[in-house]
Amino acid sequence: MSRRRLFGALAVAALLAATAVGLLRSSAPDADPVREVARDLRCPACQGESVADSTSPIAAAMRQAVADQLAQGRSPAQIRRWFADRYGDEVLAGAPADGMSLLLWAVPAVALLGAGGAAIRTLRPRRRRRAGAPRRSPAAAGTAPVTRVPAARRVWWASGAGIVALVVTVAVAAERLDGGGPPAAPADPVAVTLQLARDLEQRQRYDAAAELYRDALRDHPDDGVQLRLGFALLRAGDAAGAERTVRDVLTRSPDSPDGLLVLGLAQRRTRPADAPVTLRRFLTVAPHHPAAAEITRLLDR
Amino acid sequence: MRPGRLPLGRCVVLLLVAAVGAVLTTGLRDGAAPPTGGPSPAPAPRLAGSTLDGGRFDLAEARGHVVVVNVFASWCGPCRDELPLLVDAARRWAPDGLRVVGLNLRDGPEAVRALLAETGADDLTVVPDPDGTRGVEWGVRGVPETFVVDRDGRIVARHQGVVDRQWLDRWVTPLVEAA
Repeated sequence: MSRRRLFGALAVAALLAATAVGLLRSSAPDADPVREVARDLRCPACQGESVADSTSPIAAAMRQAVADQLAQGRSPAQIRRWFADRYGDEVLAGAPADGMSLLLWAVPAVALLGAGGAAIRTLRPRRRRRAGAPRRSPAAAGTAPVTRVPAARRVWWASGAGIVALVVTVAVAAERLDGGGPPAAPADPVAVTLQLARDLEQRQRYDAAAELYRDALRDHPDDGVQLRLGFALLRAGDAAGAERTVRDVLTRSPDSPDGLLVLGLAQRRTRPADAPVTLRRFLTVAPHHPAAAEITRLLDR
Repeated sequence: MRPGRLPLGRCVVLLLVAAVGAVLTTGLRDGAAPPTGGPSPAPAPRLAGSTLDGGRFDLAEARGHVVVVNVFASWCGPCRDELPLLVDAARRWAPDGLRVVGLNLRDGPEAVRALLAETGADDLTVVPDPDGTRGVEWGVRGVPETFVVDRDGRIVARHQGVVDRQWLDRWVTPLVEAA
């Protein structure tokens, strides 16, 4: 086998292998169910990107909506329909192709066929030309040297090798070019709610802050947040509510310093006789708590 | 090659270039076309939650009011430009039953407060949408995007991009005057 044929065979083998890798990768089911659904949705704010791949804020919000709905037990088909109801059928990646989309497929195919045809014309053996006088256009005859045809063939071979290298590189390295991991996690709504609540507490809007803490607890039960709710209720004047809230935490963690602190302070209004006992227990459990000095003063009065 | 005639290969290349150009132009124009106006009124999705100032807003309780819902974010430059106009509209039509509500998409409270203070929109009712899912429920495609909801809770107009006074006049005036 000549060197040229060997090179050709290797190039074809590389192309076939790269195609197989690409096909396997794109047809393999995604391990992440959110990504799997998001892959079938077109990002409405981008050009030709799926919701799974886009970094736009709307695509991130859509991924979150997919995750929420999957968590609610909805099927991928139901989720796709939900998005189509809001964004139209064009949000679905498998929407029927219209004339322009068909053209988008047809143009590269025609271009490939044309380039392939031209390459074959240039690269095929030209026995007739070698045997007789070369047929060249009158314009080229005067200027082009005899090496014109081999130069054109070299360009074709170099271009072919370049395309093969590009396809192989993309097939092999696509995973790494993908952005190096899963897309950034969306903003945590609970964190934002908590930030809002703390903000309102600083503005002494304790009722509103308590409402937000309750919102956050609905989505994300957490003893720390529940204690914040207890503090907010206490400051809002709802001692009974504060007591109920922190008692719940204290059943799980009987020595929670903040739990004992809020309970003791709430009891000063609801059951004043029990308050000193609770507050002393608070001081025993957390003698270095920032509020310890103030509580000691309170008990000594 | 005969003078005055192009060879077949070049003709094909030229045609291909023209076709690619046509595809790109059409595709880009379709993608950039912002939806505006409203062909048929559709019921507005749910919009309820805590507001930035600690209050509560529920669109269902705003029946009988005309509501302009503006989806915005502090990281969006054009949103900054249109907020004063929306505040002005809220003040102008408040006696006629207009309410303007900001749906703050994927943002932080400090950044929004700073934006509201800068644009004189401190009084605006703002419902935070930290993960953007409320916006998605409304079919939002980007920020800013504005919806006009009539007194029966139906979306009668939507506009992607910055709204201007003419657009507000066109869609809000008939609704507030119909009271």
